[in-house]
Amino acid sequence: MNAAPGTPREATDRAARLLRWYPAAWRIRYDEEFTELLIADIRERPRSAARTLDIARGGIVARLADAGLAGLPVRAATAPGARDRQARAGLASLGCAAAVFLGFGAALWSQLTIGWQWAAPASGTATVATVVTSAAMLAFLALGAAAALPAACAVAVQAVRRPRRALTVPAALLITATTLLFVGGRHFGNGWPGTGGHRGLVPGGLAAFEWATSLSVSAYWAHPGALAAFPAAELAWMAVSPIALACAVAAAATLVRRTEFSPRLLAFEARLGTVACAVMAVFLAGCSCWVATGGQRSLFHAGLIDVAGVTIMALAFGIAQRAARTARLGLGFAGR
Amino acid sequence: MAGMRKGARNEPDEGKALAGFGRYAGAATLIMSSLADGVKHGYALTKDIESFAGVRISPGTLYEALARLESQGLIEAVDSDDRRRPYRLTAAGAVALKAHLDAQRRVADVGLSRLAGHWGTA
Repeated sequence: MNAAPGTPREATDRAARLLRWYPAAWRIRYDEEFTELLIADIRERPRSAARTLDIARGGIVARLADAGLAGLPVRAATAPGARDRQARAGLASLGCAAAVFLGFGAALWSQLTIGWQWAAPASGTATVATVVTSAAMLAFLALGAAAALPAACAVAVQAVRRPRRALTVPAALLITATTLLFVGGRHFGNGWPGTGGHRGLVPGGLAAFEWATSLSVSAYWAHPGALAAFPAAELAWMAVSPIALACAVAAAATLVRRTEFSPRLLAFEARLGTVACAVMAVFLAGCSCWVATGGQRSLFHAGLIDVAGVTIMALAFGIAQRAARTARLGLGFAGR
Repeated sequence: MAGMRKGARNEPDEGKALAGFGRYAGAATLIMSSLADGVKHGYALTKDIESFAGVRISPGTLYEALARLESQGLIEAVDSDDRRRPYRLTAAGAVALKAHLDAQRRVADVGLSRLAGHWGTA
């Protein structure tokens, strides 16, 4: 039941509602004192759109900072562990942005590599784009393994030494989702008809796997009539695979935020993040080059879905760069 | 204030401590100036700043600036049983504030003297 207008109870209720703009960690630190200030302010100025807007903006900035995307320019954070928390938040956001980038990047890359399974591209830009993105994908694979292995070991050690739901639940979700993605990708990749012997730039099995895992990035969503002709199992996979990918990414980010990594490992991961941003730039340049020229007819044609994909990748790249910088700031080696 | 002068000699870059605050530099200066004469909680800060500067800092902006100042060690929260937690200036904050205000005063002095020379007003 809402409190009567102008009463102390109403001011308290409104202050509590305004406080919801801020993330949980911020509320834990400033809850009581900020609420007291808000109540006093509401009593003095019962209606103030400027105050609401100011708090909304402050809350969004605090949430971005909590996600490691608008980190404070910290040189000497005073709270214990604040630097490590900032670094972990930055790395988690970097991982999420990289996953979005790779999700759409894989769709574009598989289009190029599948095309090359049938015939080498006739246009120079499609050739350069395929070679550049393939090399970048190889670099992503190496970086991903180098980043994931020590982090997974650290998570496993902490989960075994001190079992807690905060780690075991996201770890179980991550394993389930990645297993589903791998098995599903293999299953539907095997259903790809193949070329009957022609060799592409990358092994056909790898290209087909990428094609299957990124099947949901499709212009067919805008054409329900054409979509209706798809096999039911493939449609189900197109709906389930992005959910599984989102679950895997969210679980991995949660683990990164909750695991107490050593400063040495955090610094290593942050440096890998910086290198990953450089590889993203190369990959994006290759894709942009192909999309800007429209590719060529048939197999290597770049359509509207590819333009949208490159746009989303550019946004993800910007976020990843910001997150990587926040992680470096937290560790105190930004700019080096 | 003796500690402040000592700190100023040892930390020549403290004048730049507020440089990274961007749009919050104004709020940060007002908050630190208000805390220069003793501890205050959020509401007392708002009223004090309104009285000496004629501006009312909104709660969101105030706490954003407080969080930044605290994370940089320029102010610190004081333990209190009251729900309204008070803050105080740290020694590093006093050094940074003095350097910042000195720089602002130099600009003001130049502006005022040029106004007096060319416009006859000061």
